[in-house]
Amino acid sequence: MATVNNWIDHLSASEVQGAVYPGVGTEGILVLIGVVLWIGWHVVSNMQESKKLDDIARRRPGKDDWKSNSPDW
Amino acid sequence: MTDQLSALTTIFTEFYYWVTVVLMFLIHVGFCMYEVGASRYKHHQHTLMKNTMLIPLVTVTWFFFGWWIYWAFPTGPGFAPSIMNESAALITDDSAFSAAWYVPTSDLMGMNLNDHISGVFWAAFLLFSWTAASIVSGAVIERITTFAFGILAIAIGSVFWTIDAAWGWHFDGWMLKILGYHDAYASGVIHAIAGGFALGILVVLGPRIGKFSSSGEPRNIGPRNPWLVTVGLFLIYTGFWGFYAACNIPIYDLGPEYGMEGVTFWTATNIYVTPTTLSGITFNFLMSLSGGLLAGYVISKGDPFWTYSSGLAGVITASAGNDLYHPIQAMIIAMIGVWVAYKLHYWVERKFKIDDAVGAVAVHGYAGFVGLVICGFVLNGYPSSGYSVGAMWDGSTYAAINPLGMFIGAIIMFFVLGFIPGWIIAKVLHGMGKLRIPREVELAGLDYQILEDASSDEKAVASASR
Repeated sequence: MATVNNWIDHLSASEVQGAVYPGVGTEGILVLIGVVLWIGWHVVSNMQESKKLDDIARRRPGKDDWKSNSPDW
Repeated sequence: MTDQLSALTTIFTEFYYWVTVVLMFLIHVGFCMYEVGASRYKHHQHTLMKNTMLIPLVTVTWFFFGWWIYWAFPTGPGFAPSIMNESAALITDDSAFSAAWYVPTSDLMGMNLNDHISGVFWAAFLLFSWTAASIVSGAVIERITTFAFGILAIAIGSVFWTIDAAWGWHFDGWMLKILGYHDAYASGVIHAIAGGFALGILVVLGPRIGKFSSSGEPRNIGPRNPWLVTVGLFLIYTGFWGFYAACNIPIYDLGPEYGMEGVTFWTATNIYVTPTTLSGITFNFLMSLSGGLLAGYVISKGDPFWTYSSGLAGVITASAGNDLYHPIQAMIIAMIGVWVAYKLHYWVERKFKIDDAVGAVAVHGYAGFVGLVICGFVLNGYPSSGYSVGAMWDGSTYAAINPLGMFIGAIIMFFVLGFIPGWIIAKVLHGMGKLRIPREVELAGLDYQILEDASSDEKAVASASR
């Protein structure tokens, strides 16, 4: 995984390779994983939010009920 | 970097942008405080989280495609040829400032010992993206779903503002060449577009319950915590100052850049690579802030909410030309912008029953629009670029700044890339039943469950003996 094993060799090369993160060359896979995580976040958070909103809507609390729930701490 | 002078120049530039990014973070802190202060207690936590979550959403999408759009779209595509490769297609070839270098798989989009600029420049633009989305966030509080807002934040923060930046805030942008568009500190490319986008959403979203009486008279749902609003706006001012610095290129030799043989002229430049100074824009930032505050105080009869917002609106109005204005011009322009924004806000509110909870459409949208139009008159005849100066509509050279071009530019920013996309996306989300929270939740409060849980915990703790 390591792109650099020896900084002296790396920096004294005739052409220094700029990218030094682990797994140079796997950027495509990393982007794919990132996109899946991003879209997945929307899906999961949307499900959570819908459930929460539906639960409250079903209970129909009064518009001032929150005041009795306001904690002192 | 093999010699000390080029190393110093490069690392100075890297550090310069890094500092601006940190300063601009205060804009977001300010927006969060402002919105929470403006919302009612029963919606506080949801309001805060909505604005907070735009940070990661816009950031990751800015990494995936937003930054690429900025470098790919300066030609339109199809409106005017690039000065780099003389093609009007998307700029994706191997020319110096091509989008090809900024696809998310590029090795410049990460730790790279040969590149000290891409990351900080990417981040500076990203902070502008957050601002665009955050402007929208305030207008829609207390009734939009987090899901819908996330989609809208990505649309304005990583797609539409970056298209307008490519068109009108890039040295190779077609709007400079054809229209003579000039918007040094983003009256239009951030503020007018975000204000227009917010207005498009508000038309579909509708007002908060209780905002209008049965006869249609607007009611004031005042800020719950004016002190939080105040500190928030002060922080936005501070971050905006950093934004001004971020819009400049700190050190550039324009002689060789413009092809002037034997001429050396080191200076700061604006985003269009035309000369300005950090010193000069400091005059103008402070004088336009002052003009906005002075005007806002009088017009609103000393209302703190509007006075502070007017300071911001003043800077926004003068921003298009603050790289060149005289400080007193900047102050007067700010005053005009504030007057227009304030009057338009209440006219639109009454006429169209628009509930803009924090006045974002007025402070950013109307003030930004007016700032562009005024800039067209005051800077009429200045070159929009240092590279070559031609006639309007020419397309192959750069038109000079002019009133008509700037007016058309304002329409593009506010309506074409702002209002229309905002309205369409909001319509789609509304059609899916995902735009607005249920009426019962709006009445009970978005934080109802959180408060109930906290109350339950409090009782349990209070009755505990060990």
